[in-house]
Amino acid sequence: MRNRLRVLRAERDWSQAELAEALRVSRQTVNAIENERYDPSLPLAFTIARVFHLRIEDVFTPDAAPPPPPEEPRVRP
Amino acid sequence: MTVDLQPRRFPDAGALWFVVSVVGSVGGGWLTQEAGRRYVNPPPGGVAMLLAGLTSILLAGFAAWKLARAGVYSWLLPLAAVNLLLLQPGRAGDVRTWRLEWGVMGLAWTLAAVLVFARLLRRSDELERRLHLEGAFVALTVGLVGSVVYALFETRLPELRGQWVAVALLLSWWVGTLATARRYRWRA
Repeated sequence: MRNRLRVLRAERDWSQAELAEALRVSRQTVNAIENERYDPSLPLAFTIARVFHLRIEDVFTPDAAPPPPPEEPRVRP
Repeated sequence: MTVDLQPRRFPDAGALWFVVSVVGSVGGGWLTQEAGRRYVNPPPGGVAMLLAGLTSILLAGFAAWKLARAGVYSWLLPLAAVNLLLLQPGRAGDVRTWRLEWGVMGLAWTLAAVLVFARLLRRSDELERRLHLEGAFVALTVGLVGSVVYALFETRLPELRGQWVAVALLLSWWVGTLATARRYRWRA
């Protein structure tokens, strides 16, 4: 999963330690998430989004492109 | 983009306090036991030896506390393993009190280290818990494979002591945690 944590944090001029404190996790966990070595649990992902006042999909995006929407069923004339 | 300008801790602080704790507990245990074993006919400087031993044990406790405070409490696992190796109640001779002393000394350290480790683990965050869980999985795998291999060559191998098994499990748990931490670039 990709994330914009580093950019969002830089925009707010927060250090990893400050973000970690807000999320109640260790700084190393923030570092692991930023470097995309660890995908946070859903509750933590929601907390991260809430801290930045964003929606979860504005912070995290799946690695692969989303699957195409299902085709509309053909209607016979 | 901001750069974290936090003071970097001495990277081997965990190793340093681990060594201090091991030396303190092993040395202190030996000094107090030697002083106590000759309490009927105390050698010159016997009281000094006893005091030095007790001081060493206190120093070891302080070092273990520093490990926990620094957040590098994974070192408590090898600390428990080393102290478990010291558990040799058979070496105390026939004096029941000192037999108990020999037994309790190593066991108390091991139990304390494991209990503190478990307590700190409960307060850790999700990634930290995952590291230790994966480390425990490694230990379990090593234990299972080792047991099967031992069972295959049981007749040709020396008798297995439960103490060794416990030490091997603790050490493999620690090594597994370190390997997992490396994968996540975590300083365990």
